[in-house]
Amino acid sequence: MISITLAILICCAVMLSLALLATRGSSVQRELAFRTDLPPYDESSGDPSLCPPEFAARIFSPADSTFVAAERSGELVRLFQHERRVVALVWVHQTKTAIHRIMREHTRLTRQSADLNLVTEAKLLSHYVQLLAICDLLILAIQAAGPARLGAVATYAASLSQSFADAQHALAITNAARDLRGASTAH
Amino acid sequence: MISHSIWFAGIVLELLLVLRGIQQNLIRRYPIFFSYIGFVFLSDILMFSMRFPPRIYLYLYWLTEFVGLILGCLVVFEFYRVALSLFPGTARMSRALLAVLFVVAAAKTVVRTASVPQWWFNTTPAQVEGVLRVCELLAILSLTVLLLFYSIPIGKNLRGILIGYGLFVSWSVVCLSLVAIGVAKADSLWSYTFAFSYLITLIVWTVHLWSYQPNPVPDRAIPLEQEYQRVAAATQRRLHDARGYLAKAVGS
Repeated sequence: MISITLAILICCAVMLSLALLATRGSSVQRELAFRTDLPPYDESSGDPSLCPPEFAARIFSPADSTFVAAERSGELVRLFQHERRVVALVWVHQTKTAIHRIMREHTRLTRQSADLNLVTEAKLLSHYVQLLAICDLLILAIQAAGPARLGAVATYAASLSQSFADAQHALAITNAARDLRGASTAH
Repeated sequence: MISHSIWFAGIVLELLLVLRGIQQNLIRRYPIFFSYIGFVFLSDILMFSMRFPPRIYLYLYWLTEFVGLILGCLVVFEFYRVALSLFPGTARMSRALLAVLFVVAAAKTVVRTASVPQWWFNTTPAQVEGVLRVCELLAILSLTVLLLFYSIPIGKNLRGILIGYGLFVSWSVVCLSLVAIGVAKADSLWSYTFAFSYLITLIVWTVHLWSYQPNPVPDRAIPLEQEYQRVAAATQRRLHDARGYLAKAVGS
């Protein structure tokens, strides 16, 4: 027999999922609720529910923050940070909703497929969970540090990763050159 | 007195459920479930009305308990059969998920029992029931998760049976775990809560199975099954785009 802690954990999981199933209500209502006003996905224009990445990038850019800070008004800086944080959070939630939508569309389209591939489904699920985790981490980071600093951290991480890649590339070239030199002197 | 009242109320509700099942022709749609209810009803009547010597009562109790348990396991398979009959892809996923769960459970049991000599003699009926109830609970959990994840539409009848049975099995697992560690004993508060949880389950079933409501038929205007690979590839691409979008926005 399993331990009481594990038994309670499994029971809680079952109760929670059954409660979700009960509150989901009529499946017909769910099907109707799924039909959103958004146009269907178009590969050329991307997901219609997402704002352009250039606009989103602006939210995380430290440029505006630097400009406002130069005005030397504490009230203005506070107001700006508050507004920017709200916009950034809305953006992350919007992205998260779009990710949910992608997966819901997928499950809706594939649930009747007889040739559903288990490995592909597992991969998609893992990708989906990773993206949701990234969004949740972003929400936490925005609330803790604010979007401008987050952008700076991300930029720093990206540049660090780029420097690392450049260094690796340079090392690979050096090694190749050394191998080539060794080969020529051996001859 | 309390236990007799709960028992009597349970018998009345079981009878009502069986009668409504016959009237509404639900017996034909959920044959295993109604066999289970019919069996529990008959065994309750037998145990309630007749006075057996304690030793015979003990054997009879465990016999009816285990037949009920086996029928309960078959009820879980009926959930799968009815809920996923129109969704072969999801049914395939559920079979894989169940297979993984049972392999893990079997491996765990083999490892644990291999280290205990003469485990069969040391195992109590309550422990065996507990293990089977845990397997039932895991099967119910995996089905519910699949129903939620794939947005499988289910009707009021099946939803009620699933919720009621899930509630009953969950509380059984908690009570049996408490029995195993010696917390719950006969005539303690826990034994009453177990009987009470069954009464609540019967109320949930009676409410949900009062009249027949068919399971919604899925929308047929979806892509054909041979398009699965294309759909999966498109989803993969879209998730990849979303990741790139997040990276581009935050990292630039």
